[in-house]
Amino acid sequence: MRVVVAEDLYLLRDGMVRLIEAYGHQVVATASTGPETLDALRTWRPDVSVIDVRMPPTQSDEGLRAALAARGEMPGLPVLILSQHVEQLYARELLGDGAGGVGYLLKESVFDADQFIGALQRVAAGGTAMDPAVIAKLLSGGSRNRRLDCLTERERSVLGLMAEGLSNQAIGRRLFLSESAIGKYTTSMFTKLGIDDDDDTNRRVRAVLTYLNQA
Amino acid sequence: MRQVGSWFARAGVGFVRACTVAAVTMLVPGVWAAAVALGIWWGPANPWSWVAPFVLVCLGTLALSRPVCRMVRHLVRRWTTSVIPDGYRPAPQVVRMSTGYWWNGFSYERSRRDAVMDQRWRLRYTDPATWRDLRFTVIAPFTAGLIASLPPVGAAAALLWLGRPGPGAGLLGAAGVVVAVASAPYAWRPLEPVAVRFLRPSRAAALTDRVDELTAQRANATVAQAAELRRIERDLHDGAQARLVALGLSLATAEKLMENDPDRARTILREARAGASASLAELRELVRGISPPVLTERGLVDAVRALALDIPLDTHVDADLRRRPEPPVESALYFGIAELLTNAVKHAHASRARVSIAQHADHLVVEVEDDGRGAATMHTGGGLAGLRRRLTAFDGTVEITSPAGGPTRIRMAVPCESS
Repeated sequence: MRVVVAEDLYLLRDGMVRLIEAYGHQVVATASTGPETLDALRTWRPDVSVIDVRMPPTQSDEGLRAALAARGEMPGLPVLILSQHVEQLYARELLGDGAGGVGYLLKESVFDADQFIGALQRVAAGGTAMDPAVIAKLLSGGSRNRRLDCLTERERSVLGLMAEGLSNQAIGRRLFLSESAIGKYTTSMFTKLGIDDDDDTNRRVRAVLTYLNQA
Repeated sequence: MRQVGSWFARAGVGFVRACTVAAVTMLVPGVWAAAVALGIWWGPANPWSWVAPFVLVCLGTLALSRPVCRMVRHLVRRWTTSVIPDGYRPAPQVVRMSTGYWWNGFSYERSRRDAVMDQRWRLRYTDPATWRDLRFTVIAPFTAGLIASLPPVGAAAALLWLGRPGPGAGLLGAAGVVVAVASAPYAWRPLEPVAVRFLRPSRAAALTDRVDELTAQRANATVAQAAELRRIERDLHDGAQARLVALGLSLATAEKLMENDPDRARTILREARAGASASLAELRELVRGISPPVLTERGLVDAVRALALDIPLDTHVDADLRRRPEPPVESALYFGIAELLTNAVKHAHASRARVSIAQHADHLVVEVEDDGRGAATMHTGGGLAGLRRRLTAFDGTVEITSPAGGPTRIRMAVPCESS
């Protein structure tokens, strides 16, 4: 994969580049400010990019805005956003266009290199990778999302794990169930939520969007 | 017809108000008249006929001036838009010293009661507000009081003469009715300008009060800041710092075990990674408590939106802000809103809330409303009192409307330039 890495702290950027290259992917460009990031995304149109939310010049949400702007110009451009904190507000903005290919993780997710690279590949393939912290906040958000009321407890936990970006096989391992059982849960869940798409990836993204109250 | 009706209603209300004003302001002249009557009744032969009325006039005026002025302030506040602050000097606290004596800010006394009495008299004597009250009690009867007496006097004249035979009496009675009815809607009104002119604290007094207020605010802010820094220091010391030490220790152990027992080394490394994650989570919470990252990145409105998404409450956010307020104001308002929403969930058991943020002329106004069970009160040491204290540092105010049974509505206003 061709990857762009945007991060203003040298140590982190360098570490991330080494990690990605160690897994056999190619880092085509790095950036350390918001405008540089947008330029790199436009020039290289990478298979996936890793972008820090807070960057110079304003030290606010430069990275996130660059990512959103780039996806405005190139719909579905896969981006993986890293941050020291996760907010549902940002997750909704990222998923709002419904195009998929979005990841939003805490920076410490790089601690587990295998999982991090796995998430990167999923995002590159058009899937989603949401941090468990975002999902946990959604689950504790009370019964605000009425559309999910029709789901059973089990279906809801499957949806939560799906939003994190896990495959049916991985969800089955996490819940100690067989892959085919998870397949049944997801099918009934898609039916209840009225999602009838042929492409499984699209279906999963749309289910996550429903989860985020955006669909 | 309706116009005539409303005029009569106004006349009726005005008549009652004029009677009230006349009664309040004429109280002191009433005492004077009683004293004079007493002197005349005793006759010039009685040696007390001069002294006793004089004492009565002095004591009566002194004792009645403060209650009369309080009443006038109350009436003006109730009937008009003017608010006249009383501006009395606050009494310093009476404290017991280690010697067992009581100190009241002026002198030492043997008992608490003596100290309080002594303080009261000294305050009365030295407070410029006392002299202002006295001046007003003397001026008011001859201005507002005299005019306010017109309707009751007219009514009394009508009652007295209308029933009697004779054309002169009828004329006088009719004149009384006309005076009473015509002056009723207006006769109480001079009370406001007179009270504002003579009862309002002087500029110097207002400035003194303001200086006291600011001194107290500064002391409060300093104490709060120091406490906050101590909390952060303690959290870092017990949390992140301790975890980093443990992390270093684990790494050192793993390094040592690497050659002989690589399996255990791997376990320790895995634990170390979990420890690093945990300390990051702790630091994140700490940072959120000092200054939430969304607030820095997006400003008040989006930070409140993010907050609304995180709490288990159906929260609607209405915002109309053209530009970001100063960072300290933004932070104070954010934490204020966070506290109110937490209260709505925890104490009021609300299911819905509405937050509105708007710029009103030269004030930034935030309203938080919930459908909980209400009965929120501001008591010393409580969260709402703390909120008010934090906002007073910016000359902000907090108003609470929270009847038992709900809904609770809390309005925070902070001055800020609108341009």
